[in-house]
Amino acid sequence: MTEVKAELVGNLWKIVVEVGQAVEEDDTLMILESMKMEIPITTPISGTVKEILVKEGEVVQEGRTVAIVE
Amino acid sequence: MPDESASAGLEQLTDDLHARRAKALTMGGEERVTQQHDKKKLTARERVSLLFDAGTFVELGMLAHQHSMTGGPTEPDRTPADGVVTGEGLIDGRRVYCAAYDFTVMAGSMGMVGEQKVARLRKRALLNRLPMVWLLDSAGARIQEAAGSTFAGSGALFYEQVQMSGVVPQVAAMLGPCAAGTAYIPGLADYVPMVKETSSMALGGARLVKAATGEETSDHAMGGSQIHCYISGVGDLEVDDDAACIAATREFLSFLPSNNREMAPRRDTQDLRDRRIDDLGKLVPVNPRAAYDMRKVLKRLADDGHVFEIKPAWARNIVTAFVRFDGQSTGVVASQPMIKGGALDIDAADKAARFITLCDAFNVPLVFLQDVPGFIVGTEVEKQGIIRHGAKMLYAVSEATVPKVTVVLRKAYGAGYYVMCGRGYEPDALVAWPSAEISVMGPEGAVDIIFPKQIAAADDPSAARKEYIEAVRKTIDPYIAASWAFVDDIIDPADTRRVIIDALEGAATKRQRRVWRKHGVRPV
Repeated sequence: MTEVKAELVGNLWKIVVEVGQAVEEDDTLMILESMKMEIPITTPISGTVKEILVKEGEVVQEGRTVAIVE
Repeated sequence: MPDESASAGLEQLTDDLHARRAKALTMGGEERVTQQHDKKKLTARERVSLLFDAGTFVELGMLAHQHSMTGGPTEPDRTPADGVVTGEGLIDGRRVYCAAYDFTVMAGSMGMVGEQKVARLRKRALLNRLPMVWLLDSAGARIQEAAGSTFAGSGALFYEQVQMSGVVPQVAAMLGPCAAGTAYIPGLADYVPMVKETSSMALGGARLVKAATGEETSDHAMGGSQIHCYISGVGDLEVDDDAACIAATREFLSFLPSNNREMAPRRDTQDLRDRRIDDLGKLVPVNPRAAYDMRKVLKRLADDGHVFEIKPAWARNIVTAFVRFDGQSTGVVASQPMIKGGALDIDAADKAARFITLCDAFNVPLVFLQDVPGFIVGTEVEKQGIIRHGAKMLYAVSEATVPKVTVVLRKAYGAGYYVMCGRGYEPDALVAWPSAEISVMGPEGAVDIIFPKQIAAADDPSAARKEYIEAVRKTIDPYIAASWAFVDDIIDPADTRRVIIDALEGAATKRQRRVWRKHGVRPV
């Protein structure tokens, strides 16, 4: 089980995966809007999206766990 | 009449010499050497022969062995070379000094005699203005010899390393443990490659940590490459084995001169200096919010596509790398939009500041590739001290007097534009792509600061905000910067390589003197 964390503070613009979806290492799970950029949050491991812990439009802080991949 | 007995005597003496030398070459003995190999580590002597051009190594102090200043027990027979192979040899034809700690002899621990040998190398490196390499595989100070208050006389090794800093290149190759205070050898070195699994460094080894604080850990968990090359930033490159570590050491030195009074050797290339790069448009998206991998751009620009990255796995939002441009060794500092949007944080600033300082110390010109949305802002980074870390980068880029060339690919925002060698930092050439956006901040941020009242008072605030944003966006235009001659030119991206090479060549004779001072007060 791996906690996927936001690398920097930003507005959570888009979630592009669903709970239960299979993902490969480095796949984009969601996109953060920050510092004038669309910054993908990617999964460090291959597996299944177990939980999504944020909502679109929410401001996430650096280091916050945004999803759990198993 | 020749004196036969005397001649026979010399022969015997010579035989005895050869026997002593042969004994030294056996290091800590067959069993220890097997153990070393079982750990997938090479011996100190195998490493030395990999490091130097074949047949060029000259050893100093081979016949040394352990002594005790305090009259304690010693093991002269079991301590060949006193656990450290020292000498000089050629790397790509240039002379370099090397101290290779021998883990098969008392775990490579640093004894009095061994340290005296290494001290002699440091002295010679500085005197003869030649680089120094440490091949580290050592349990640290030899406590049997060092425990007690004679410690009061020790410590000059680091003082001497500091005197060498910026005069000759220093490499600390991590091929095993480097425990306790001796971890400052890599701490003060210019380049620190680390072998995965086998190498580690920590100010206190696991046993000392347990004794001092009660914390239970292992040397590897605390100070392996997975920590130092990814999290702490003390290591410069994680490699798979000893051979790769030594190859990285040789390559690092190839980009630097032997000392600060020389230029790095040029390396001939078949790569055309005016090679056009027509596919950069495919690598760099026009949508300024979209990310891409700057390393691919750099690969396309550099001679023969060859890029030697420093700290590739740490602070990845900025790329620091040695490349060659038309044979000229060059340091590149490049934004990396793929990670954190290329925005700068404390680690990125530290990484870049140190790299710029290294290049400037050794006359290696610098190229800056800008696509930087600025420094990350907010409560988290302020707690981390982003101001003083960012100041290090400002300081380094301001101090650097080597040729500096800046290319703005897309974003050049705020202090990000400054620290990546904007106009105020006296680049010898500053050019921009037609896609460049140079501004103190993005249009959205600017509008919310300049026009909040007007927007609030509008019939349709959201539409008004959009209008203001569009109006401000129009002022972010590279041709405005060019029309004021703040940038030297707007260039066809396909010509970037040629433009960089022309600019580096144009500034090759640059000599810049600063106001005299003992030294500045560097932010840390």
